[in-house]
Amino acid sequence: MAARDAEPERGARRIRAPRFTMALPAWIWFVFFFALPVLWIVYYSFGYKPDLYHPIATDKLSLEAYRQAISSAFLHVFSQTLQISILGTTLCFLIGFPFAYWLATRVAPRWRGVLLGLVIVPFFVNFLVRTIGWFILLSPNGPLSSLLQKIGVLSSPLHLLETRGAVQLGVVYNYLALMILPLFVTLDRLDPAMREASKDLGAGRWRTFRQVTLPLAAPGIVAGLLLVFIPLTGDYITALVLGGAKGNMAGVMVASQFTLAQNWALGSAQAVILVAMILGTVGVFAVIALVVRSLARASRKITLPPVAEGTA
Amino acid sequence: MSAVAVSPRGRRDLVDVLLRVWGILVYAFLFLPILVIVAYSFNNGRAMLVWSGVGLDGYRTGITDPTIQDAVKTSIVAASGTALIATVLGSFAGIALARRKGRWTVLFLALVFLVLVTPEIVDAIALLIWYVRIGGPFGPRMTIPAVSYGMLRLWAGHSLFATAVVTLIVRARLQGLDETLEEAAADLYAPPARRFRQITLPLMFPAVLAGGLLAFALSLDDTIISSFVSVAGASPWPVYVFSAVRNVLRPEIASVSTLLLMVTLIAIASVALALRRGGQSGEDVAKTMAGAG
Repeated sequence: MAARDAEPERGARRIRAPRFTMALPAWIWFVFFFALPVLWIVYYSFGYKPDLYHPIATDKLSLEAYRQAISSAFLHVFSQTLQISILGTTLCFLIGFPFAYWLATRVAPRWRGVLLGLVIVPFFVNFLVRTIGWFILLSPNGPLSSLLQKIGVLSSPLHLLETRGAVQLGVVYNYLALMILPLFVTLDRLDPAMREASKDLGAGRWRTFRQVTLPLAAPGIVAGLLLVFIPLTGDYITALVLGGAKGNMAGVMVASQFTLAQNWALGSAQAVILVAMILGTVGVFAVIALVVRSLARASRKITLPPVAEGTA
Repeated sequence: MSAVAVSPRGRRDLVDVLLRVWGILVYAFLFLPILVIVAYSFNNGRAMLVWSGVGLDGYRTGITDPTIQDAVKTSIVAASGTALIATVLGSFAGIALARRKGRWTVLFLALVFLVLVTPEIVDAIALLIWYVRIGGPFGPRMTIPAVSYGMLRLWAGHSLFATAVVTLIVRARLQGLDETLEEAAADLYAPPARRFRQITLPLMFPAVLAGGLLAFALSLDDTIISSFVSVAGASPWPVYVFSAVRNVLRPEIASVSTLLLMVTLIAIASVALALRRGGQSGEDVAKTMAGAG
């Protein structure tokens, strides 16, 4: 992709290798097994399916596959995917933040390592197998269903599988650790003295949290949100195992164009739209976050003078 | 805001208790499906979902079934190769990013970023088409003696994300370390190769080890790329499970998963012990293993 731009510049010093030499193997690897294949998908997305027996033809290029990909049936899946992933990312944050805060600030340091390790242990079980665990739990004749019927909460078997709710639960579970880890790392690096100083200056707990802890944890929050949102939006396994027809997600739709329908042009176009949707959403939220931050800063500047507020 | 300060002690205790309860609930949530899998691994029935008595049938079948044996073996070979490729490529890229900065770093980091954000399903379909196109050692026609083309496909596919991860971990580690140690070695007339072996390598070793472990784990966990690019005869364990999901779930899947979890935990524990003996605290070890070091 970019390997040629540095060559002519550094030609003058012949004794020293160019500065990117050590990164060259990785560079070649990424270009050959990532950039070129993905560009090929982009190329195929302009093609079409010629007949029943051929998955792709590229003799005339058009936007036909894109037109198909945003037709109503597929558009519904894209919007449902976005809803599931935004709600899922929000839930991961709401569950993960208090947890990471507790782990970083309330747990004695000698237990922190062990407890952090315990967060990771479930993720040593294969992604698919973990999801099967939920499949068993949620199934109509599974343990949760019979327990709820026995204690009288439910009168008929549990019907959670093959719904959007099951997919929502599954994705929150499968990506929660990716939220907890970066949050823990930043909260753990926060000097407790910062919070104490805030308290000494008369700020209450809520105010300290809002004006000291939260802004300082911002890098971890951003990392966590990205680490969860990006793979969650492209999720394929969770929706496939728990979702059925009602809990369909874009990843399943893309895959089915290659495994079942054999329409590579449509599948490629859907894949390109999926990536664009992820990058677009991240971009929109980044802009919103920047605006909110500058607004918050502006408003805080005004309220700065009356200091003797929280002294009651 | 003034309500906060009314009774600081009482409120503090309440928040502490709530946070602790939350912590316990999150652990329960995290372990619930794992416990289900472990419990159902002792199901003696033919189908996983139909409970018919406690027993070790699942384990017996799981250990002796040749298809499962092959799948697990393929998984381990795939993960080892992935870890090796990712550690070598990622370590050198990480060193270059941390110690040989230049205009190229922005471009390279952009590529790494793209590898990390591209959904795996997109990688999977792209690689499937690519392998079919390029053929060569990645296609069925040309055979390299010791390695099947299916395995080559898995190594290349799994190592993409893993290499990106190792690159970032090694870069973070070296950026956090002062370069003066390496400069001092240079001042003391250590030639570059020796400087690398005696100063840089030991300094970055925890990151390399953590990266290698992560690469191994990522490869073992990978289902999406594997299910698209793997071929009959070299399909790893998750692909076996995947086909079982589509047909019928048997208890041996839970049994073998439980065994694999045990093996993983023992391996992790011994690496943690080794790191701890090397002078890191428990928290450091956990952080290094979590890839945050």
